[in-house]
Amino acid sequence: MLLSLNNVEVVYDRVFLAVKSVSIDVGEGGLVALLGANGAGKSTTLKSVSGLLKPERGAVTRGEIAFAGRDLLALDPPERVRAGIAHVLEGRRVFGHLTPEENLLAATTMHGDRAHVKRLMERTFAWFPRLSERARTQAGYLSGGEQQMLAIGRALMTEPKLLLLDEPSLGLAPFLVDEIFDIIRRINKEAGVAVLLVEQNAAAALEVAEVAYVIDNGRVVMNGTAEVVKANPDVEAAYLGGGHSVDFRAVKHYRRRRRWLT
Amino acid sequence: MDLWLIGELALTGALVGLMYALVAVGIVLVYKTSGVANFAQGAIAMSGGYATWAIAAFLGLPMWVAIPLALVAMFGFGMLVEHAVLRHMVGQPVIMIIMVTFGIEIFLRGFMPGTFGVAVKRLDLGIPQAPMFLGEMLINRAYLVGGAVSAALILAAIVLFNSRAGIVMRAVSDDQGASWSVGIRVERAIAVAWGLAGATATAAGILWGSVQGIDWSLSLLLMKALAIAILGGLDSIPGVLLAGLIVGVCESLATGVIDPLVGGGTRDIVASVIIVLTLLVRPYGLFGREHIERV
Repeated sequence: MLLSLNNVEVVYDRVFLAVKSVSIDVGEGGLVALLGANGAGKSTTLKSVSGLLKPERGAVTRGEIAFAGRDLLALDPPERVRAGIAHVLEGRRVFGHLTPEENLLAATTMHGDRAHVKRLMERTFAWFPRLSERARTQAGYLSGGEQQMLAIGRALMTEPKLLLLDEPSLGLAPFLVDEIFDIIRRINKEAGVAVLLVEQNAAAALEVAEVAYVIDNGRVVMNGTAEVVKANPDVEAAYLGGGHSVDFRAVKHYRRRRRWLT
Repeated sequence: MDLWLIGELALTGALVGLMYALVAVGIVLVYKTSGVANFAQGAIAMSGGYATWAIAAFLGLPMWVAIPLALVAMFGFGMLVEHAVLRHMVGQPVIMIIMVTFGIEIFLRGFMPGTFGVAVKRLDLGIPQAPMFLGEMLINRAYLVGGAVSAALILAAIVLFNSRAGIVMRAVSDDQGASWSVGIRVERAIAVAWGLAGATATAAGILWGSVQGIDWSLSLLLMKALAIAILGGLDSIPGVLLAGLIVGVCESLATGVIDPLVGGGTRDIVASVIIVLTLLVRPYGLFGREHIERV
């Protein structure tokens, strides 16, 4: 396994228990989706991997996270990036006052070799031709889709083995969502980068993912291959918008089953 | 009033302005990287002057050795200030951070003269005292050297900000969380900015020390530097260059033209008037970035 979380518990401000006991595995070159409703603990789980809990006064209080055989919890965030983990944060978070080119350069502090940086830059622009067209405008003025591409491209400049994507489709037009997911699939297949994808758009995420975990109220309540998860009637009702039924028995069934296994 | 005099005042003012601007560079560097208003910059410049004098006087070293040593020491001092004080202020309200840096200013203002004695220390850079004539204009050589060195250092700072290291510093000022997510060592970038602020302030302290000697009054450079940083836009180094020239020339002309009419004392008003006017008319300064709001 490339990444494995084992019974991870995350507490914010020493009191608020956001993630209770999450175990997730991402294989070498895998594409794993993490689904769930608002506030279920998806983003927190990603931050526990990238180490970005600290600025938000969160901490992993129990469990282990191993990445490529190393204990991640002992590393600070820049070290984790150097180990091969890049986190694309929710809301894109590009450096608004920098140009796209400068955004990409800012993510290359771990590469000493200039020629190598140049190659990475060309690779990124080849993946996102739209960015090269706008390479000299301030990133804050790019469209939402372009910013998302820039955020992903910027993360790829660190040459990750694992890409953590937090809501890449948030606030994008449907055709852009398709384009972004297409890119994610290509990055995964062509560059062999493993992806752990957090999404509220479960339908789109299950299209690209091989394996999916459903997280609810800080716990993993279900996991399996994308097909299995997709076929589950509860997932369908809760996240895929299927099973529109006003049948009273169905509602009861849903309520009973939403207690999951815990 | 003849043109030669005006020219002389303007040229001297421009040179002096560049020397002020060198103090402001540190304020901008720190603000640009960490968003912290650095009110300790005047006293850091003064401390740099004291450090240079002390290294030369106590270790008996020549100036060309003492100056690099002082620059290195003050680079370390800048990083120390960040490490010991400002790192613990992360997340505090802006007013607290301003108060802390201002507290450092006041502390150094007392501590340095307290340690080394209040008498004015002479710092001799070996610049000839005799003025230079440019037509009928009299130019002080110390200002000429000071202005030239300052301009060179400010240009170097501009080059730095467009290199990868500079891009990283700007990235940190834009979004610290996102900087972490792409492997930038945020704390280190901020510490380096403080170190550079310490070193540039020291250069300014040395230049000013050679002109007026070293005592606590060097720390009053803070006022001019603030005026320049605010006029220039707080986060723009080219802005500092231009604003420095403006403040210097205005001050010099005010001293030469208005002083005889009102009986003196206009020099120190200029900086404060510029601060107030800038904040009223154009709060983000000449080159400051505006907040990007995407529609």
